Amino acid sequence: MSTNESAETIQEQIVALLPRLRRFARNLVRTPHDADDMVQIAVERALLHLDQWHSDARLDSWLFKILRNAWIDEVRSRGRRAKLFMPEEAGENIGEASMEREIDRLSVEAALARLPHDQRLAVSLVLVEGLAYKDAAEVLEVPIGTLTSRLARGREALAALLRPPQGDRS
Amino acid sequence: MSVSDETLMAYADGEVDAATRAIIEAAMRDDPEIRRRIEEHRALRETLQGAFSAVLDEPVPQRLIDAARGHDAARAGNVVDMASARRAAVDAPGRRRSWQPVAMAASVLVGVAVGYLGWHGSNSWVKTNSSGELIAGVGLAEALSNQLSEDRSPGLVAITGLSFRAKTGDFCRTFSVTGAHASSGLACHEADGWKIKVLAQTPAAPNSSNFRPAASGIAPAVRAVVEESIDGEPLDQAGEIAARKQGWAATPSR
Repeated sequence: MSTNESAETIQEQIVALLPRLRRFARNLVRTPHDADDMVQIAVERALLHLDQWHSDARLDSWLFKILRNAWIDEVRSRGRRAKLFMPEEAGENIGEASMEREIDRLSVEAALARLPHDQRLAVSLVLVEGLAYKDAAEVLEVPIGTLTSRLARGREALAALLRPPQGDRS
Repeated sequence: MSVSDETLMAYADGEVDAATRAIIEAAMRDDPEIRRRIEEHRALRETLQGAFSAVLDEPVPQRLIDAARGHDAARAGNVVDMASARRAAVDAPGRRRSWQPVAMAASVLVGVAVGYLGWHGSNSWVKTNSSGELIAGVGLAEALSNQLSEDRSPGLVAITGLSFRAKTGDFCRTFSVTGAHASSGLACHEADGWKIKVLAQTPAAPNSSNFRPAASGIAPAVRAVVEESIDGEPLDQAGEIAARKQGWAATPSR
């Protein structure tokens, strides 16, 4: 397969993965629009660094990793540039929206959003995206033991959040 | 017998080897508590599989599809080749090469800029110089040269966002323009003035109260270029004042 063909094939594979990248991004950032911005940044970076992708690696894991790194950069940038890039967010309170939902029932999504980043990413990659522990650890660039302990803590926290208040589960 | 919860979790996720599986399955037969804990892990796994699944059925925004395909310009295929072609096209002989990502983004956005010139005519705050490069028009150039990033007084031509020193040594600043053709971009001060490196239209946000434009109108494409080209940290106000004092003249790369 020529380089030209493979680049085009990879682009189409990336297009096919966009729905999953969007889903993963929604676990990272608050609003769907920002999540799509993250996906766009990640995809642009992936194309710039296509030569770094080895075809024996999973394309989805590689893209998740780029997306995660783009998000980390974003979080860092927000910290140092909060006033410059995110003035609208000042004073915004995420608590309100999730409180409303809690009146009925805490949705899985809202419960996930309450987890610390580390746990949320582990849960999202393994349980939502269905990655194997090994691949999820690779995306997060941590040893597999770290991944499993984050996953276990995240699950425990989620189970507590999702448990109906009256002990009895129907 | 006691089996750690992490092991039970790994069993529920199909992540244990055959030997461990045999041990756990034996334990399950004897111990209803272990069965219950595994069931809990499986139930949670199933619940989470459905999380955010609605997003999978949503139509993918065209901008993301375009981005994945290298913005249509990638019809010819090889992205790496395209990048070098762009670099060759954008970099005048002898220019430093650190602008590769910028070159890429700039060419992507040329269409936008051309549209811009169309809307605004020659009075635009963006214009082309004799070499066909996009440069800041008078009003924008003045804002870029003089305005500090904290300045949000009404009636400004442009709001200057982030100022930083690029890997080329040039000082660069993001800017955003509001109004009917709201846009954001990145300009860098080169020997002959402020060159527009990237220009992107700000996506129009619906007027819903819980929906806001991303990142104060700085387009993702612009932010991506900033991230790729920034050298170190952005300038703080003192840094901006110092850079302004020296006329935003490039400082040698570290």
